[in-house]
Amino acid sequence: MTATDRRVREVFIELSDTLVDDFDIIEFLDRLAMRCSELLGVSACGIVLADHHGVLNLVAASSEEARLVELTQLQTLEGPCLDAFNSGRPVQYADLWDETARTRWPRFTTATVEAGYRSVQALPMRLRDNVLGAVNLLSTSTGTLSTETITLGQALADAATIGIVHQRALARQELVTEQLQTALNSRVLIEQAKGFLTHSLAVDVDEAFAVLRRYARANNRRLTDVADDVVQGRLTLPTPGPAEHD
Amino acid sequence: MTACARELSASGAGLALTRNGGLLEPLLATDPETGELDELQFGLGEGPGTEAMATGVPVLEADLSGPEAGRRWPVYTAAVDGRGVHGAFAFPVAAGAARMGVLSVYRRQAGLLGPDQLQDALVFADTVFVLALDRRRGLSTDLDSVIEAAFVARRAEVHQAAGRLAAQQRISVVDALALLRAHSYSSGRSLREVAVDVMAGRLSLANDHGAAPPTGPHDPKETGPDHVEKEQEED
Repeated sequence: MTATDRRVREVFIELSDTLVDDFDIIEFLDRLAMRCSELLGVSACGIVLADHHGVLNLVAASSEEARLVELTQLQTLEGPCLDAFNSGRPVQYADLWDETARTRWPRFTTATVEAGYRSVQALPMRLRDNVLGAVNLLSTSTGTLSTETITLGQALADAATIGIVHQRALARQELVTEQLQTALNSRVLIEQAKGFLTHSLAVDVDEAFAVLRRYARANNRRLTDVADDVVQGRLTLPTPGPAEHD
Repeated sequence: MTACARELSASGAGLALTRNGGLLEPLLATDPETGELDELQFGLGEGPGTEAMATGVPVLEADLSGPEAGRRWPVYTAAVDGRGVHGAFAFPVAAGAARMGVLSVYRRQAGLLGPDQLQDALVFADTVFVLALDRRRGLSTDLDSVIEAAFVARRAEVHQAAGRLAAQQRISVVDALALLRAHSYSSGRSLREVAVDVMAGRLSLANDHGAAPPTGPHDPKETGPDHVEKEQEED
């Protein structure tokens, strides 16, 4: 269930390797979401960030189901991620079928249980006194995560925070806001490119993202740059063949 | 603009928009002096606003007469020297690849905006973005609806739908967003609902430069990509 120390080390090295000068924030956060579910033994992971309206936006998810669960939270304005964001503290629910969870978040628990998840843990993404967003961990089984796992989860959430604010010495609050806006704007750009490709390649949204990512990796380019070129009509991506599906 | 300048305790604020992603043209300013500060930037091709437009990221300069600003924009800072303007802040009026312009705020005193003022400025920029979209479609909408639209403007579905429309109609994402917004306005449905229908292929918006949608928003029949293709060819 839990990761070996060696694997944990490998992941942190992998993450720090991506924090180079010209790094891609969306690529980094998506990778982090995937590694979170792997290392923490949870089924899925989603990362949300707050914009200047104080509204949380989904920036990364380890799977399509996790994406839908996160979007439910953001649309119904209820759920552990919002609580963790508002309180700045971890929120844990061992069983979503539990009466207290259902009373607290009626729409969230219904949607999440329907998607096949039974327990949830939300960790705040904090920079000093400032909460930037939250990391949400979903499990298909009931039960709480061990203290050790939560500590590791919080370390990964902190890594996500560093990823967002790493580019400069962030002594100043306005630079944090600026970096946050850049991350959210990158996400907007990628959504536009995904939508563009659903039409031009006649694929669904997830496949569109896979096509974008494959092209960016194969050509060693940033996802956001590729997305920009696609939306501006400067780059035409080939229709994926059946063998290319991952 | 005046409200924006007041909230940010600025001496002035100016708005410049591009036509079809080209050069920035100053459109509004709280006063002639601010207008000139904007004109100079776009005329010289450098300055915080020009940079915010090029990068899509807010540019915050605490002091235009400082050495750092001088290195960054040598010609512009020289040109505005002695005008008594120090703080200069530029916010992209944009969402993803849809860059419409830049909102510039100038202050007499040196120093950065406070965290709350910074958040306010970003909300102003979002509101201006929606107003500029509406202007493009010739809509005159009430402020409540604009603020509401600015609020949902970052939702993933809205931008997926804008990208999809841009590909379908061979238009820019700016025009695609304007089209979505116009449809939302004329049908009385939320931007998000319209976007979800576009992504599901239930709604195809023709770029007719009018506010009226070509097909009913409640079309019960699912239309596949093939159908959408055909509609596009008829354009």
